[in-house]
Amino acid sequence: MIGLLKGMATTLKHAVDGETFTVSYPEEPPEVSPRFRGVHKFSQERCIWCRQCENICPNDTIQIVMDDSHNGEQYNLHIGQCIYCRLCEEVCPVDAILLTQNFEFVAETKDEFAYNMEELRNVPWYNSIDPLEAREPDREAWVGEGEGEVDYQ
Amino acid sequence: MTLPTTIEEALPVGGVAAEAVAALAAATVIGTFVMLNTALAGPWAKRKITAAFTDRISVNQFGPLGVGIVVPDAVRLVSKELIVPEGADRPAWDLAPLVLVFSALFAFAVIPMGNGVHLADPAVGLVFVFAIASVASLGLVMAGYASNNKYAFLGGLRAVAQNLAYEIPLILIGISVVLYTGSLQMSEIVATQRETLVSLGPLSVPGWFAIVNPFAFVLFLVANVAEVGRNPFDVPEAPTEIVAGYQTEYSSVYFVLIYLGEFVHIFLGGAIIATIFLGGPAGPVLPGIVWFLLKIWAMFLFTQWLRSAVPRVRIDQLIEIGWKRLLVLAFVNLFATATVVGVLAA
Amino acid sequence: MSLQRQPVGETPDGLDYDALAELLDGYVLDREQHLNCEAFVIRPDDVAAVLSTLRDRAAFDHLSLVTAQEYRDRYESIYHLKKYDDPTQELSLVVPTPRDQPHSQSGADVFDTAIWHEREAYDLVGIEYDDHPDLRRILLPETWQGHPLSLDYNQDKPQIVPLREHANPMEGRTDVADRSDTMFINIGPHHPATHGVLHLKTVVDGEQVVDIDPDIGYLHRCEEQMCQQSTYRHQIMPYPDRWDYVSAGILNEWAYARAAESLADIDVPVYAQVLRTMSAELCRICAHLLAIGTFALDIYGEFTAIFMYAVTDRERIQNLLEELTGQRLMFNYLRLGGVAWGLPEPRAEYLETVRSVMAEFPDRLEEYHNLLTSNELFQMRVLDTGVLPAETAKSYGATGPVARGSGIDYDLRRDDPYGYYDELDWEVVTDDGGDNFSRALVRLQEMEQSARIVRQCVDVLADWSGEREIQSDVPRTVKPGGEVYRAVEGAKGELGIYIRADGTDTPARFKIRSPAFSNLQTLEVLAEGEYIADMIATLGSLDIVLGEVDR
Repeated sequence: MIGLLKGMATTLKHAVDGETFTVSYPEEPPEVSPRFRGVHKFSQERCIWCRQCENICPNDTIQIVMDDSHNGEQYNLHIGQCIYCRLCEEVCPVDAILLTQNFEFVAETKDEFAYNMEELRNVPWYNSIDPLEAREPDREAWVGEGEGEVDYQ
Repeated sequence: MTLPTTIEEALPVGGVAAEAVAALAAATVIGTFVMLNTALAGPWAKRKITAAFTDRISVNQFGPLGVGIVVPDAVRLVSKELIVPEGADRPAWDLAPLVLVFSALFAFAVIPMGNGVHLADPAVGLVFVFAIASVASLGLVMAGYASNNKYAFLGGLRAVAQNLAYEIPLILIGISVVLYTGSLQMSEIVATQRETLVSLGPLSVPGWFAIVNPFAFVLFLVANVAEVGRNPFDVPEAPTEIVAGYQTEYSSVYFVLIYLGEFVHIFLGGAIIATIFLGGPAGPVLPGIVWFLLKIWAMFLFTQWLRSAVPRVRIDQLIEIGWKRLLVLAFVNLFATATVVGVLAA
Repeated sequence: MSLQRQPVGETPDGLDYDALAELLDGYVLDREQHLNCEAFVIRPDDVAAVLSTLRDRAAFDHLSLVTAQEYRDRYESIYHLKKYDDPTQELSLVVPTPRDQPHSQSGADVFDTAIWHEREAYDLVGIEYDDHPDLRRILLPETWQGHPLSLDYNQDKPQIVPLREHANPMEGRTDVADRSDTMFINIGPHHPATHGVLHLKTVVDGEQVVDIDPDIGYLHRCEEQMCQQSTYRHQIMPYPDRWDYVSAGILNEWAYARAAESLADIDVPVYAQVLRTMSAELCRICAHLLAIGTFALDIYGEFTAIFMYAVTDRERIQNLLEELTGQRLMFNYLRLGGVAWGLPEPRAEYLETVRSVMAEFPDRLEEYHNLLTSNELFQMRVLDTGVLPAETAKSYGATGPVARGSGIDYDLRRDDPYGYYDELDWEVVTDDGGDNFSRALVRLQEMEQSARIVRQCVDVLADWSGEREIQSDVPRTVKPGGEVYRAVEGAKGELGIYIRADGTDTPARFKIRSPAFSNLQTLEVLAEGEYIADMIATLGSLDIVLGEVDR
């Protein structure tokens, strides 16, 4: 009986102390770590079209279309099938792709999650941190340079 | 004086018609009153209480403390599609939710809630309450058997076994109260408890049966929790074992009825305890009806508290506790009370 | 007398394979070198004889895994044997069978765990095991055409099954004849207590379970094959997070990292090992908290506060992991040769946060003990239910808290050290009860030990003076060769990876030894004869994650 009462006392203690752990979500968004991996943001200005991100992507989320002389470049990313592993960001030599802190995005159909270059550029930052700065200290460790040739195509 | 008589006297005309109108009006008032409580308890209070135990915020968007959730929740529940399982035993399947709700509601007819809110005061009040409340078992069997679902069937069987095992101790403990009061009439039971037991200076302790015989009170609490099917005795539903037991196949309005029925039952259990153990509407300063409400809500809170921390017992353990422990203790209590009452009378 | 005898091949310097070969004289056709141990090639009709000889004479009492694979010229089953007393003593049995006649003798007579493992091999690769008690598909539906991991399987061909073939796939699938006093009931795949999409074909007699047959595979996502199509260097690592997806991610990643690092001979800097150890133990605490919370749900009912408290505590630790790795569940934190991130800046502040969460943890555990283990009704429910004797546990290849709850002192962190564990001061928790209570108790006490490990790691990290090297120099493309089977202590038990590398940058065969798969197999033993309620509690105490069972 003592143990039973001890259990009841424990829950009662939680009930009367009035503390809550949950947050009122849309009004108070939770804190997100600077390392958080959310929706991709793409910078066309930085991109050198080396296609390493396309190669490293484990499940073909990134699709780059262009001809041999780099004409008609397209950068498509199906955010609906992305697994947020952040390998594309790690492998990018020029920081052209970054995973933002943005995790709130909705669409009515899966097709709408196929983002093209323009949509990727317009992905918002909504927290006031500079991701590059936040991540800089460990940057060189992301994808070890190591031996062996780098296949830019 | 009961509510229908009060209304009848207020009416300009008399006779059978007035009596009928008054009875109907009084029944409506009390039915609405009970339903209001359950409507508040089901979608709102239960959420808030569970949230308090588990450190969450829970509903807080509509109205003060989110109490407005009752309205959208009602709309949501009622507007859902009613799915009738293939092979359901139709009349029984349809009737079961009604039986569940009304068995509990009818019993409220004889409960004195204070300030004259009392529908009827027959001489056999206590027997009436137990008799009507146990009709719910029938509803459970009907729901379980007619659903044509194995989980529902298991749940129905469990419900019957449980109600049989706990109704008898419940009534036996009830009889010990009758020995004390010498009457089955509810108003009489309440009146007896109003007498002062002992006076401690300015404070006078009333003769509530819970104070006179706390042993019976604890036994009754346990048996009552089993009777309303809440932790640790919620085996007929036991969602993690048999999905939802007898209510597995119910949806939409029927589900609402069953859900309501459960809450009315919890409140009925609270009302019975308040009436026969806690002096009914008695209490200082505040009006009787408020005290009565406080008492039944306290019982509701107690069941929710149990849910947060007490494990569900297994069906065989449940039956064992019922027949081997509670029944024996109930008899012990009965004989002890009889002896004491007899000695005091002599 | 025979019990006193020293097991064959055991010497102070490790295993003497020559002595073992001598013991199996006449059976061994050839000896191969795998990276973790030697492998003996035997004939397909000698499997049972060799397995029982090794078990009885050489104390190989743990059949960890059965791998099946197809080569251009043959099929091959590999039985990975270990010892519960010393898992570093390993031996593999390679059983080749010709392509035109893929028949091999079953090992199910010797090790019960082979029943499911061979069913899986039959299902996915297509090797037929003679004398198998119950050879049918396990992960894929009965109507499936072909064996997906065989070489000639056409992946692009859609599998079209008419509805009538699925008329009632559940009927007539139990060992119990249809009796008038029993009832067949499908528990799951959609049921509140099956912890995922598990389907239990159950025959009940009143409230008691007469026969139970777990039907798995509803969450089969071709994880092994996906890994076979991904490159070692980067692409495989995100996927282990998704096997045991309830926050045991880093433990799973470590299983892959350990196998691939020993395959490609990659060193890991000590600083990275400490980071790995700390983050892995944080993951273990999260996973055990969820296990305890859901176990409480099964016993207390859905309104219990314990589940919410467990999730709350888990949330605090997930916040730490998010700071460190960038995500709350799908960490992708480990890399071959190290980890992806160092400690978040400012380092001291982060370590202080970890320290304060871990300092509070014993108090939190005390609360679980108050709510669970000291509660008389809880004890009434779980003591002496779902009893798993140690011998049965070994035969079924149970590992992790399930084995330790049966008194088997087996923990790879200590017995087959990796990471930074052997530098730290902690204990392996065991309990002899073997019942549901013991398994819950072991998990609770293991969390305490994990918190202890984390605290020590924090101290090491805080006092670190040397170079903070988080990754060694690893080639951009890894193209190893050879075969390896390596395991780590995952949240549910021994999580092993077998990789056959063929010199390309993707594995030729990638096989996952899922602890939950083996543990779930014991359910049949545990639950038959129990009440339905105890069966559910037993299932909860086994702590399966269907993502890992089905892979």
